[in-house]
Amino acid sequence: MEMTDETRDGVVIVAPTGRLDVNTSAELEKRLLDKVAAGETRFVVDLTAVEYISSAGLRVLLLLAKQLKARSGRLVLSSLGPAVRQVFELAGLLPVFAVEASREQAMGRLASGP
Amino acid sequence: MSIKALRLRITPPGGVPFEHECAAASLVLGRERAADISISDPYLSRQHARLFQDGDDWFLESLTTKNTTLLNGRPIRGRERVAHGDEAQLGSTRVRFQQKGEPTPAPIVLPAATTVFRSASAVLEQAGTLPLDVGGDALRRLTERLKLVNEVHRAVAGRIAPDDLLQLLLDRVFDHLSPEDAAVFLKDKDGELRPAMSRRPPGVKGEPFFSRSLALEVAGKGMAALVQDAIVDSRFASSESIVMSGVRSIVAAPLLDTEGSLGMIVLSSHAHVRRFSEEDLELLVSLSSAVTLRIRTIALAEEALQHRLLEKDIDRARDIQMSMLPTVFPARAEFALSAALRPARSVGGDLYDFLEGPDGVWFFLGDVSGKGFPAALLMAVTRTLFRASAPDETSPSALLGRMNRELSRDNERAMFVTGFAGRLDLATGEVAFSNAGHNRPYVIGQDGAVRSVGEAAGMVMGVDGDFEYPVGVVALAPGDTLYLYTDGVTEALDAASRQYGEARLEARLRELAQAPVGTVVQETLHAVQEFAGSTPQSDDIAVMAVRYLGLTK
Repeated sequence: MEMTDETRDGVVIVAPTGRLDVNTSAELEKRLLDKVAAGETRFVVDLTAVEYISSAGLRVLLLLAKQLKARSGRLVLSSLGPAVRQVFELAGLLPVFAVEASREQAMGRLASGP
Repeated sequence: MSIKALRLRITPPGGVPFEHECAAASLVLGRERAADISISDPYLSRQHARLFQDGDDWFLESLTTKNTTLLNGRPIRGRERVAHGDEAQLGSTRVRFQQKGEPTPAPIVLPAATTVFRSASAVLEQAGTLPLDVGGDALRRLTERLKLVNEVHRAVAGRIAPDDLLQLLLDRVFDHLSPEDAAVFLKDKDGELRPAMSRRPPGVKGEPFFSRSLALEVAGKGMAALVQDAIVDSRFASSESIVMSGVRSIVAAPLLDTEGSLGMIVLSSHAHVRRFSEEDLELLVSLSSAVTLRIRTIALAEEALQHRLLEKDIDRARDIQMSMLPTVFPARAEFALSAALRPARSVGGDLYDFLEGPDGVWFFLGDVSGKGFPAALLMAVTRTLFRASAPDETSPSALLGRMNRELSRDNERAMFVTGFAGRLDLATGEVAFSNAGHNRPYVIGQDGAVRSVGEAAGMVMGVDGDFEYPVGVVALAPGDTLYLYTDGVTEALDAASRQYGEARLEARLRELAQAPVGTVVQETLHAVQEFAGSTPQSDDIAVMAVRYLGLTK
């Protein structure tokens, strides 16, 4: 799985691409948790380029949210395509996450505080 | 004044000065390696001059007939006594005789000419080319080497533990090559080199010789190293360790095979005590490589054994897991129920279960996030929670709520479970249900109409312990079937990476509307399998069919 990440204004922006399933989510988990371990607390996960997300992918995002909450950090998801949004809806997890339509809006939400 | 202790400060042409403490009563200076002090200077003879002690005095004599040995600027005749402060010129090399303890003007740095790094495999290829004109001493040395090689190879062929093999290598090269210090360094699991074993002659103390820059070349890059004099070439430019430990002769070989390097073996001596040769290097590389190959095959055999044991464990775990799920289904007049599970790996995270009561039947089908052992463990927990909770509960909302509370507790890994729980009322045919983030099931009418049940959608279990699950009700007429499945069905992929999808499943269900529930379960699984063809199953698959048959009274 391809993945890009950058840090802007103290916010880690990660954008995975392709299928976020049981085979690829382990890599995403490591990438994200390494950054948490390095002290990063504000994250945007941009899902624009994710065409499919499985329960394993959802778990990684839940885990990140959980760890950030314990560190008074913040996770905002952005740019969920229809297929991805449907998975979140089916799992009943949309209310659990902060979700924004675009990466810029997600950045704005982190900038304006909780 | 006694000048027993004589210290030489040697300045080779274009090189950096170095110092030598005279420990022997006689030593030869020259261009050849076998000289006691070997100096890289083309104007020197192989054995150029000799320094020796007679009584309390030191003398210098020229070993060459050319007039290229000067003492204090004058050609030397025969033997000449040297005193502190004297300076000799040998070829283009200056040698100053000074007293022990005399302050040294600059840090001692030593010439670079004789560090040799070669790839260990190249050394191996070259080794074994015997000189044709051997005789006397050379022949004896060759015989000794052959005996040594033979001994190590016999040990390698036998049953021996890796540590014993390394110890044998260390002992044999120690005995044969007589270093002052021999040590084996092994990489730990982080790739750091650690001293594993070492040997020194009796009475000699101290840490085994170690240089980080040497380790980088030898253990890191698989080079064999022959270092004569204490050496500063570019690779060692920043390494003080070699200079600090004095003038040394070092021979080092990687513990290398085709899989990479396990570490290295290093022999070192003060250069005036022992100088290692190309021949020594070849021997060390050859023995190390044979020993490493053997260690690697032992490790591989061990790994294969562990793997077989793990596979057996997995088989047993699979048996236990499958035995948790009921495979005998009730044969009742009021309803029929059947289910099946096919794990993707040998243990998996899907589950189903049911619990019969006098006037109703509870059923549950779920999917734990992830796969393999972690999922299988959570699956077992979930199944136990269902079994323990269902008899006490009257509403599916309360049942899932209770399971969810337990699953949310101490859930550090953020694993979660999707699931659909329902209770069929045998008197009315009504199914009350709650859905924890699970795929919508289907109601298959007796007439072949298929519709999905989207009501009462709630959150997956394990995330929010306080979540309150809504309840939905669907009324089954006699002959209607409720069909539950996990996403392993609809997300099964074929060779072209197409998903099986809901449309194919719905079409198949329409055809099976009147088939017995056991057939509905087996045929839908079969259809998925046929669709996937030889594409490996990437997710667990579980399905369940519950049909209301009506009251017979």
